[in-house]
Amino acid sequence: MILLRLSNLNKTKHPYIFSAGNEDELTSPHRGRERSQRGEKRDGVYEKKKKKKVTSRRRERSGVDEGGVQLEHERRDKEKRKRKRNTVQARGEGEENHKEREDERKSRKTAKLGKSLRNENSQKIQKEGEEEGEENQEEETEKKPKRKKKHGHSKKEEVRPCSLSPEELEKLKEAVEERKKLIQSLRGKPWSMKKKLLTLRESQEFVEKYEGALGKAKGRKLYAYKVIMTKKWMKFQRDFENFKTACIPWEMKIKEIESHFGSSVASYFIFLRWMYGINMILFGLTFGLVMVPEALMGKPYGSIPRKTVPRSEEASAMNFAVLWDCGGYAQYSVLFYGYYNDQRAIGWLKFRMPLSYFLVGVGTVAYSYMVVIRTMARNANESGVGDDNSFNFSWKMFTSWDYLIGNPETADNKFASITTSFKEAILEEQENRKDDNIHLTRFLRVLANFLVLCCLAGSGYLIYFVVRRSQKFALDGLENHTWWERNEVNMVMSLLGMFCPMLFDVISTLENYHPRVALQWQLGRIFALFLGNLYTFIIALMDEINVKREEEKIIKFNITMWESNLYNGTGSENGTTVSPIIIQPADVPRGPCWETMVGQEFVRLIISDTMTTYITLLIGDFIRAVLVRFLNYCWCWDLEAGFPSYSEFDVSGNVLGPLLSSPCFSCRMGAFYAPCLPALNVLRLHVSMYLQCWAVMCCNVPQERVFKASRSNNFYMAMLLVILFLSTLPAIYTIVTIPPSFDCGPFSGKKRMFDVIQETLESDFPSWFSKVFIYASNPGLVLPFILLMVLAIYYLQSTSKSYKEANVELKKKLQTVTKTTLFFFMPSTALCCSCVKYLAQSYSGVQLLCSCISITV
Amino acid sequence: MVSPAIALAFLPLLLTLIIRYRFYFVLFYRAFLVRIWKDCVTGLSREERAFQYVLTQATPGDPESILDAFDAWCSKVEFISNIGPKKGKILDRLLVEQSPLTVLELGTHCAYSTIRIARALPLGARLYSVEMDQRNAVIAEKIIRLAGFDDDTVELIVNPSDEVIPRLRSDYGIERLDFVFMDHWKKCYSPDLQLLEDCGLLGKGSMIVADNVLFPGAPKFLRHIRKSGLYEWKIHRATLEYSQGIRDGMAELVYQGIK
Repeated sequence: MILLRLSNLNKTKHPYIFSAGNEDELTSPHRGRERSQRGEKRDGVYEKKKKKKVTSRRRERSGVDEGGVQLEHERRDKEKRKRKRNTVQARGEGEENHKEREDERKSRKTAKLGKSLRNENSQKIQKEGEEEGEENQEEETEKKPKRKKKHGHSKKEEVRPCSLSPEELEKLKEAVEERKKLIQSLRGKPWSMKKKLLTLRESQEFVEKYEGALGKAKGRKLYAYKVIMTKKWMKFQRDFENFKTACIPWEMKIKEIESHFGSSVASYFIFLRWMYGINMILFGLTFGLVMVPEALMGKPYGSIPRKTVPRSEEASAMNFAVLWDCGGYAQYSVLFYGYYNDQRAIGWLKFRMPLSYFLVGVGTVAYSYMVVIRTMARNANESGVGDDNSFNFSWKMFTSWDYLIGNPETADNKFASITTSFKEAILEEQENRKDDNIHLTRFLRVLANFLVLCCLAGSGYLIYFVVRRSQKFALDGLENHTWWERNEVNMVMSLLGMFCPMLFDVISTLENYHPRVALQWQLGRIFALFLGNLYTFIIALMDEINVKREEEKIIKFNITMWESNLYNGTGSENGTTVSPIIIQPADVPRGPCWETMVGQEFVRLIISDTMTTYITLLIGDFIRAVLVRFLNYCWCWDLEAGFPSYSEFDVSGNVLGPLLSSPCFSCRMGAFYAPCLPALNVLRLHVSMYLQCWAVMCCNVPQERVFKASRSNNFYMAMLLVILFLSTLPAIYTIVTIPPSFDCGPFSGKKRMFDVIQETLESDFPSWFSKVFIYASNPGLVLPFILLMVLAIYYLQSTSKSYKEANVELKKKLQTVTKTTLFFFMPSTALCCSCVKYLAQSYSGVQLLCSCISITV
Repeated sequence: MVSPAIALAFLPLLLTLIIRYRFYFVLFYRAFLVRIWKDCVTGLSREERAFQYVLTQATPGDPESILDAFDAWCSKVEFISNIGPKKGKILDRLLVEQSPLTVLELGTHCAYSTIRIARALPLGARLYSVEMDQRNAVIAEKIIRLAGFDDDTVELIVNPSDEVIPRLRSDYGIERLDFVFMDHWKKCYSPDLQLLEDCGLLGKGSMIVADNVLFPGAPKFLRHIRKSGLYEWKIHRATLEYSQGIRDGMAELVYQGIK
């Protein structure tokens, strides 16, 4: 609708502008006199204005000047023949006179062409002459548009390019170049579409016609060949661009969603795709450098105790329930930390497994940090729009339309939302002037935050309670309890993570923020909730780790006893010979291996979380949509438009889902202890991409208040960074402080996990290297280096600040320069019109309109 | 056995639902529970109770005071889905702009909207009001007379609308309806509109106003007016009568005829 109005308005607008120009022309002094006086008047104010107008007009006209030039020249030829012997003309046209004589020698028609070309040249050289000529042209073209075409047509047959002199060829070349330039810059010109198309067609014809004519008879073929090749090359490039777009995964799907739901929903999917890409890389790292080498070159399953299912579990190791809980064969495989051996180098490649494991763990963290920070920096460059509040109405007027919407229903929604937002803004403005409601809003906002805090505290306590209970169950032995009780922690966590955001959403209606601000608040709150839950979970895990370590001590002691018993027993029987005692690796007692336990917990969390998400999607969206759709035939009120309705796509909840539960970010700790986590996450993201795309298109409706999300939103990124930091903390803590288990994992037998590095330095590098390393890590060298870095950062920051200031200054200047033209050339002035309608309804509205226009202009 | 902690985790969901749909719960309470309770206690129908209240509170012969009495009863005592004061104002404005001579009202109910329309009509105009239910019609008749409108201004037709409309031309001699107000069964909006079109009672410029097109809602009606292209239409967005949070709309159609 808005677009329609726009086009109408453009129609009405353009005639106005043109007619203004014409009037000016009419009222201007007689042209002949003006011509004679122009040389002296050059620096007058009037002259300047005139020039400006003419140059702008020239841009408009250059489309039609092909014919126009023709006409003009015909006319001028006659004129010139009449006053051939006249005295020197007021403008210095010596050059032209000279050429005139030259022209007369040739046939009249070729002369016409040459002149026209020359005239185009002289347009560049002599402004005065150009002005005059153009005015004439304009007059002519306006008078006789039909004749123009005829001439253009007849010209085509008459020109024979071979018979042109080199000078003319040069000119022709220039003309062709000019046309090409015009074609390129056509898109940005402020003309009506009709005119643009006409100009485009004409100049393309011109270029096509004369391009081949350039060059001499000998080089002509080559030139034509070159031209054809460049065209083909261009076409290939364009196709290649299309191909590249087609190669971007899910691009078309996202575009479709964008056209239906607006850019805020699409930005979520773009974010999801970004996450997918990063997870792919992380998955590649862990899969290629850790899992595959271990599976191919490490000791096979069953060779040592840590790679074998213990005897007591063997019976149930293949049960689905056990596998689903990451026990049994899944636990004793490359998927988890405990399976890896502490052998320094494996296979014929001498692959340093423990080192690789450690470096991949560190590298993935470093990589994710780097990616997030780089994206943030790039976004910071892009975003520089300035404050949104100072030109509220003009922002609304000119920028509120989302041009990516392609669906009529969404467009209707958007139109309605714009009009309502105008109404709301007007009301707000009125209320602002009254200044009485501010205390109520403040009170409501404080109240909302208080309620949210209560919710957070409640959910935190519930999780704490559940975790304590689960510890009690664990002490009792898990077999005595039901499935519900065993999975209580994960269930409660995902349920709370699902329902609390809904409650926050309801509470946030109290606050009455702009939806974009409200979304940020909402995201912040959900973030706090998830993080609180995660930390409660991690703290509970820490407790469990301590319990396991106690257990480990006892078992270690027991094992030494067991071994000595074994050897003593055999020794006493066989006497001196130490015969190889064959013990099945499955029978060897082993420690609890807390690392695998942590990994398992995180994998379970991910799985249950994914399941809850999908089930909610199915029940909350799909089943609801089906019910609403088909029950509507036999229900006493309109289900579709009224009470349950279809669900809207909530961006906030969906954004934080993958963000917080992805092992890439939130469970760095888990990813270190369970190498399968990135793989699981890639799988999950892949499935959810398709599932959510389908669910959005199939069973959601566009949001009622479609708002634009700025693509370069650093908010998500900042949050990602914080999450990343907070989730690496526990991982680093466990790596640094807790010694690894004695009988499982690549670091078994070492005091700390990072001892791997020292070991490698000592044994795999030449001695001088370790010496250099030791010197380099000397605090005397490190501290100055850090100081230098800090200084460099400070310097860069201060320069960037000064650049920013300069930018703001320039922007201000730009605003003052363009403010006169802005109002008329903005394409979305239609909105202005609709705004005027609403504003004009009340007296205060009229006042507002004035202020609004004064802001804009 | 589901553990209590998991049940507690559903508490936020419950709270959310209650808060989000509180207006619907209130409406359910007022429109159904209170009604059933009072029906049992007093033995009168809801409309009769409303009539008694109006009789005691309003000044006879003064439409304004009768409307006020209705509004007071519906917002404070019980719920009857009249058009309500807010949407009534829009209706008044449309009537004043249009100043129709022949008006058809479908669904008289308690004659609230009948009085509203009759009050705004120009001199010599005639309002035909159609009500299906016999008992309601009796009360509506009384209220119309109480407001001081005689048979020449308001004519009450007690019959289902789909029977009345085809006979309007033959029985009542109506050639063209200037204004139609629909507030009866939401399911009947679309067939009745089509009947009106088929009988040729609508001329160019005839206005049709339909209440409650969003809640309880008449999706078929909206689809029909969107598709047929016979009308210039818009929806006045408002809230449901005597309640704040439930959004509702009143459709305003102007018949354009086949272009």
